[in-house]
Amino acid sequence: MPVYCKSQCGNRAVLRRPKTGDALCKECFFAAFEAEIHHTISSNQLFQPGQKIAVAASGGKDSTVLAHVLKLLNEKHNYGLDLVLLSIDEGISGYRDDSLETVKQNRDDYQMSLKILSYEELYGWTMDRIVAQIGRSNNCTFCGVFRRQALDRGAKLLQVDSIATGHNADDIAETVLMNILRGDTARLRRCTDIRTGGGEDSIPRVKPLKYSYEKDIVMYAHYKKLVYFSTECVFAPNAYRGHARAFLKDLEKVRPSVIMDIIYSGEQLRFKDTVKKPVRGTCSRCGFVSSQQPCKACVLLEGLNRGLPKLGIGKKSKGDRMIAEQNRELDLRERANLVKNDF
Amino acid sequence: MCSIGEDDFGDTGGLHAMTAGGPVQIATGGTGECQKCGQHSDDLFKVNFRSEECRDCFLNYARHKFRAALGAAKALPRDSDVLLLLDGSIESIVLLDMLHYAQTQNTFKRLHCQAKVLYLDESVVQEQQSLDIDRLQKLQDRYTPFDLFVIELGTDLSNLRPLKNYTPKTSREESDLKIKLDKLRTLSARQDYLQQQRKRFLASVAHQLNCTHVFVPSISKDLATQFLTSIALGRGGSAALDVALCDDRLDHDIKLLRPLKDLNEQEVQLYVRARNLEDLKLGPSLATYGQEKGETASLQNLTAAFVRNLQENYAATVSTVFRTGNKIAPNRHVDQDMCQQCQSPLDSLLSDTLLAIEYSRVVSLEGSKLSNHNNDLEQLSMQRLNKDDRLCHACRNVQDEYL
Repeated sequence: MPVYCKSQCGNRAVLRRPKTGDALCKECFFAAFEAEIHHTISSNQLFQPGQKIAVAASGGKDSTVLAHVLKLLNEKHNYGLDLVLLSIDEGISGYRDDSLETVKQNRDDYQMSLKILSYEELYGWTMDRIVAQIGRSNNCTFCGVFRRQALDRGAKLLQVDSIATGHNADDIAETVLMNILRGDTARLRRCTDIRTGGGEDSIPRVKPLKYSYEKDIVMYAHYKKLVYFSTECVFAPNAYRGHARAFLKDLEKVRPSVIMDIIYSGEQLRFKDTVKKPVRGTCSRCGFVSSQQPCKACVLLEGLNRGLPKLGIGKKSKGDRMIAEQNRELDLRERANLVKNDF
Repeated sequence: MCSIGEDDFGDTGGLHAMTAGGPVQIATGGTGECQKCGQHSDDLFKVNFRSEECRDCFLNYARHKFRAALGAAKALPRDSDVLLLLDGSIESIVLLDMLHYAQTQNTFKRLHCQAKVLYLDESVVQEQQSLDIDRLQKLQDRYTPFDLFVIELGTDLSNLRPLKNYTPKTSREESDLKIKLDKLRTLSARQDYLQQQRKRFLASVAHQLNCTHVFVPSISKDLATQFLTSIALGRGGSAALDVALCDDRLDHDIKLLRPLKDLNEQEVQLYVRARNLEDLKLGPSLATYGQEKGETASLQNLTAAFVRNLQENYAATVSTVFRTGNKIAPNRHVDQDMCQQCQSPLDSLLSDTLLAIEYSRVVSLEGSKLSNHNNDLEQLSMQRLNKDDRLCHACRNVQDEYL
C-alpha cells in the first residue's frame, strides 16, 4: 500500500523522517527541512543582519548542505548576511586535494567567495609530511588541533563575525557519548552548545545543523542533487570514534528519536561544584583561543620543529622532560663546539 | 569536514583515552606472604592495582568500601530503619553479608541501624521458576536476626508477608502492572516504565515496614550502564540521582541508597570467594526483565551489551563512565514541579531541543504549504511542548508508546 505524505498534499511519501517518524514527499521534505534550520537560526539568534559569516567547507555532505541552505535562507528570509566559504587544506594527497575540487564547485554554484588556507603556509608542514614523521598513530591529533586553529586564523584573516560549521545532530549526540566515555567533563559542559567561543578575543562558532539528522542531510543532498565528496580520509579509516558511533547507530535503529534525546540529556547535565571548570584564555605564543599555556597547536608544532613529534602527545610532564633532555644534549654539543674552537 | 579534534571533539582523540585492557582476570588464589600484614596465607587475593593480600586484609578492604560509601556522605543517620532489597543477584547477597557483618560487630565500627530484608518476587511480570522457599530460608538462617519479607511486585501491600507465613501462589492472575506493560509498544518503554514502577513500589513497601532507607545492590558496572541508559532515554537532568549514592526522589521521603556503588565486578567475585557465598539462584535479578529478547531489542539491552563489551576490552573505560556519573549533579531548583511518574523535576519548558522536535512535527504537517506564518507554528509547537500532563520528557516518551 502506498504511503502518502503526512502533510496531506496528496503526493506519495519518498522518505520517513527519523526525528519524528513522519513520512513526507520530496517537496514537503525540502520545505520542512529548510524551515527547521531557519527556526534554529532565528530562535537562537545565530546571526545578525549585516554580519559576515564564514561557512567551514570541506566538500563533505554536511558543509555542502549547510552552504546551500544558508544561501537559500539568506535570500528567502533576508538575513542580510555576507556568506563566504572557508576551507582548510591539510595537505593530504588523494583526499583533500580531491575534496577541494568539490568546494570549488560549490563556490561556483553558490556564487560565494572561497578562501583556502593550507597547513603548509600556516605551519610549514603538510599532513603527508607529518604522517611520514610520526606514523599512523596520533596523526588525527595533529590534524584536528591544527584545523581548529586554522579555522580561527582563516576567520580572523577574512574578518568574519562568526564561523558556521556543519556539525549535525548525530555528531553532537555522538560527542556527548564520547565525552562521557572519556570522562571529559569540560567538553561535556559545552559540546551541546549551539554557539561556542565568542568572547572578547575569539570568533564565535555556530552549528545551524544542530537539530538536523545526518539521514535527513544525506536525503536532502541526494534529492537536491548537490555535489559533495564522500570519501573517507586516507589516514583515518573508520577507526576513530568507532565505539561511540557504532553504539549510537545501534541505538538509533531501536529508537530513532534517541539522537535528540541524547542531545537533550547532554544539555540537562549539571556538574557538582567540586568539578573543575576549564578556564578559556589565549595562548601566550600565538594569541589564539586556548585553555592551556601554550596552546596545543604550539606544543605540537614545537615538537615537529624540534624533531620530537611525540612532544604534545600524552602528559605534559613527559613533554617537559623530553624538552629538558634535548636542551641538555644541545647544550653539551654547544660546549663541545666551544672547546673545539678554543684550540 | 572531518571533525576529529574539532573544538568540542577532543584534542587527543577518544581512542587514546580508551585504552584496551583485556578482560579482568579473576585470580584463582595462591600461597605466599600477604603484602599488607606480612602473614603467610594459603589463599591470596589479588585485586587489580593492589598487591596480593590475605583473606582478612581483602575483606577489610572490601567492607571498608561499603562502610566508607555510607560514612563519607553521612547518608545513613544513626539507628535508621533500613530495608535491604534481595533481588536474586549475587551482589544482593554480598550486600546482605556486608550489612550483616557491619551489624553484628561489637566494636566501635558497628553500623547502627535496624535492617529488614525484602525479597521482591517478580514472577508477575517475567517468567521465572517458582520461588524456592527453602533457599530463602537458608539465607534467613544464615543471617539472623534479620527478618525476611516477601511480596510480589505490583500487588497490594496487604500481601506483604514474613517468609515463614509466605506461600507462593500457584495460579497466576494478570496483575495491573503486567496489563499496563503489555500495552506499551516497545521493550525500551516497558523496561523504563517497569524501573520507575519498581522503585515506587519499593518505596511503598519500605514505608509499610516503617523503613526510611532502602539498600539496593548496584555496583559500579551497573551504575555505568544506568548512567548511559539514562542519557539515551533523555533523562540527563535526573541521571545524577540514578547513579548517586542516595536517590531521594521516592514517595514518603524514603531514601534509596547504593552502598556497593564503589565495588567492581572483580571485587564482588573475590568477596564471594572469600566469604564462601553461594549464588542461591533465587530467580532473575532486577535488571533482567526483557534481557532474553536479545541485545538489540531495546535501548537498555543495547547499553548493557555495550558496557559488557567495554568491560571485556576496555575495562578502564567502564570506571571512567562511572566516575563521570559521580561528577554530575541533579538539575533541579527549589519549588520546581515534579514529574508525576518518576518524580524528576519537570524540565521541558525551556528546552530548545524539545522545541525543535515539536517544531519538526508541526512543519511535517504543514509540508510545502508552509508560508511565512512561522510565528504561528512556533506558538503551536510551544503549546504542544507545554501540555499540562505533568510528565518529564522521558516519561512522555513512554506515554507516547501506549497502544
